[in-house]
Amino acid sequence: MFTKVLIANRGEIAVRITRACHELGIAVVAVYSEIDRNALHVRMADEAISIGPAPANESYLNIDRILDAARRSGAQAIHPGYGFLSENASFARAVRDAGIRFIGPSPEAIQAMGDKAMARDRMQAAGVPVVPGYQASDDEADLEKAAVGLGFPLLAKAAAGGGGKGMRVVFEEGELHSSIAAARREALHAFGDSRMILERYVPQAHHVEFQLLGDEHGNLVHLFERECSVQRRHQKVIEESPSPLLNEALRAEIGAAALLAGREIGYHNAGTVEFIVDPQTQEYFFLEMNTRLQVEHPVTELVAGLDLVHWQIRIAAGQPLDFSQADLVQRGHAIQSRLYAEDPANGFLPATGPVLRFVEPEGPGIRVDSGIANGAEITIHYDPLIAKVIAHAQDRPAAVRRMQSALRDAVLLGVRTNWQFLQDVLAHPDFKAGRVYTTWVEENFEDWQPPDCILPPEVLVAAALTQYQTPFGASPNGQTGPTLDDPFSPWRIANGFRLGE
Amino acid sequence: MTAMHYRYRYRDQIFEIHLERIGDGYRAVLDEIPYEVEVLDIQPGQISLRFDGRPVNLYWAVDEENRWVSLQGCTYQLQKPVLDRARNTGVQASENLVRAPMPAQVRSLEVAVGDPVERGETLLLLEAMKMEIRIRAPRDGRIAGIKVSAGSTVNRGEVLVELEP
Repeated sequence: MFTKVLIANRGEIAVRITRACHELGIAVVAVYSEIDRNALHVRMADEAISIGPAPANESYLNIDRILDAARRSGAQAIHPGYGFLSENASFARAVRDAGIRFIGPSPEAIQAMGDKAMARDRMQAAGVPVVPGYQASDDEADLEKAAVGLGFPLLAKAAAGGGGKGMRVVFEEGELHSSIAAARREALHAFGDSRMILERYVPQAHHVEFQLLGDEHGNLVHLFERECSVQRRHQKVIEESPSPLLNEALRAEIGAAALLAGREIGYHNAGTVEFIVDPQTQEYFFLEMNTRLQVEHPVTELVAGLDLVHWQIRIAAGQPLDFSQADLVQRGHAIQSRLYAEDPANGFLPATGPVLRFVEPEGPGIRVDSGIANGAEITIHYDPLIAKVIAHAQDRPAAVRRMQSALRDAVLLGVRTNWQFLQDVLAHPDFKAGRVYTTWVEENFEDWQPPDCILPPEVLVAAALTQYQTPFGASPNGQTGPTLDDPFSPWRIANGFRLGE
Repeated sequence: MTAMHYRYRYRDQIFEIHLERIGDGYRAVLDEIPYEVEVLDIQPGQISLRFDGRPVNLYWAVDEENRWVSLQGCTYQLQKPVLDRARNTGVQASENLVRAPMPAQVRSLEVAVGDPVERGETLLLLEAMKMEIRIRAPRDGRIAGIKVSAGSTVNRGEVLVELEP
């Protein structure tokens, strides 16, 4: 087993991985950009190395600086987390070439799944169902001919794509030309590659993904599915396991297809095979494979009853899985809500600012993965994810209620969040019935605005009572000033008329 | 009898509250309705009250402009009341000024001073938290001034581009 691991990431996932390392008796080397020098992941680490200025491409995406930090600290392995360099095959290769273990799959596996067009071909050849589509040629005339053959609606998307960029739904032949042109422009801008592929568009599709875990000795299992159909602008918001859509037979069938996909590329470590499932026909199609740990991995951990990050590290250290597929069962139901720093009243644009106060919900069956401490600053440089709240209970209705209750107990002051939006999704009859598909949020919450809360008198009274002690701008964290010992002192001053200071 | 008056802005509405010390507690008056209040505990960031006989627990924090109070999962952002004069100039000038909708980094400028622009035309691209934000012209006009450059960081509400009146 390793004695020292470098975590090439920040935020909640760096904190999560640090905990796993410490539980396994492994020392942690954190890396940080200038703006993160006082961040929670830095404070929890055993060593911390500065790797450059705030912009990610000068720090967390800088391969040379991260490798240099690993060499200087003597780390035997690097965990990339998710995002940043986690699916960068050149990084995985550079780590290997430096004689350091990469906690993840091989560079070859990352590369095989990194190009969507190549991955789709390979999966199809291996017998994994893929969405009927066309990718033989990028020539305009060929694409148009193929589109007519596939039928409408269809999806034109970037061969090098991801995250919904460079993607258009084409409803009829007349829109084809302009939609492809627009998708190409976007793809070129986002990925530097304008190649297009076509796919049949599955309406009201559910996003169902299977967690794979494989060791370097040929053992590969799946840890069941996650349903991630609650998405806003292709960003997952609420994830759960099991999927309310799957029955035993369909679960076994898609699980077998996921294993087939993993075996085809000799996959080891943790990875996720994403499918879309047609709720009408129960057809399922391979979408893509994420060759890394995912943001929503906690729901799988709770339902499958094992620690994915522990296993990632053990696998990278050469240990074999000590269980088989037959040993795995799904226990209860888990749901995760992503708390984002964003302003629903301002078009869900990311919100920034200091976290003045953060009180995590707690209680039986509640887990919170967060990377911030009171006083942390949410900046423009990184992902707006503040925390993940995960609820686990015996069944889906109980897990939903537990989540609603946990979100009511959470307090985050200083930055606007999507809290109310999460509550409204959880309370929606479609969500309760498990009938949510990937475009459901767009169709049902298009003009959603936070409800006009009536200001309760208690809130105004509390504001006034706290104001004397702590005027506006006094200090962060709601720290009180020198008059803390006498909260009633304003009353010694004659008739004040304080205009909100 | 001494009384304290406080004013807050919440969602563009001004709220006024009067507090009066009565014995060990307070009498609060809001919209002419009186409430009996007792402070059970006050801590940095947290305050517990007995409010008309009911126990109530609230979290709070302050920054330059806001007093944040959280009650039963709902967070209320109470702002300092803004002087009417300042608000009026803001409204008037907004016709000619294009402001940043959020804090961001300027990725690129798509227009130059003197350029004629049409309503909806992209003026510049901002980037924040991996998202690209297109800033478009609010009306037809001509660019009178550009207040930022590529790579610079802007705050929410900061003027990016000025249109000729």
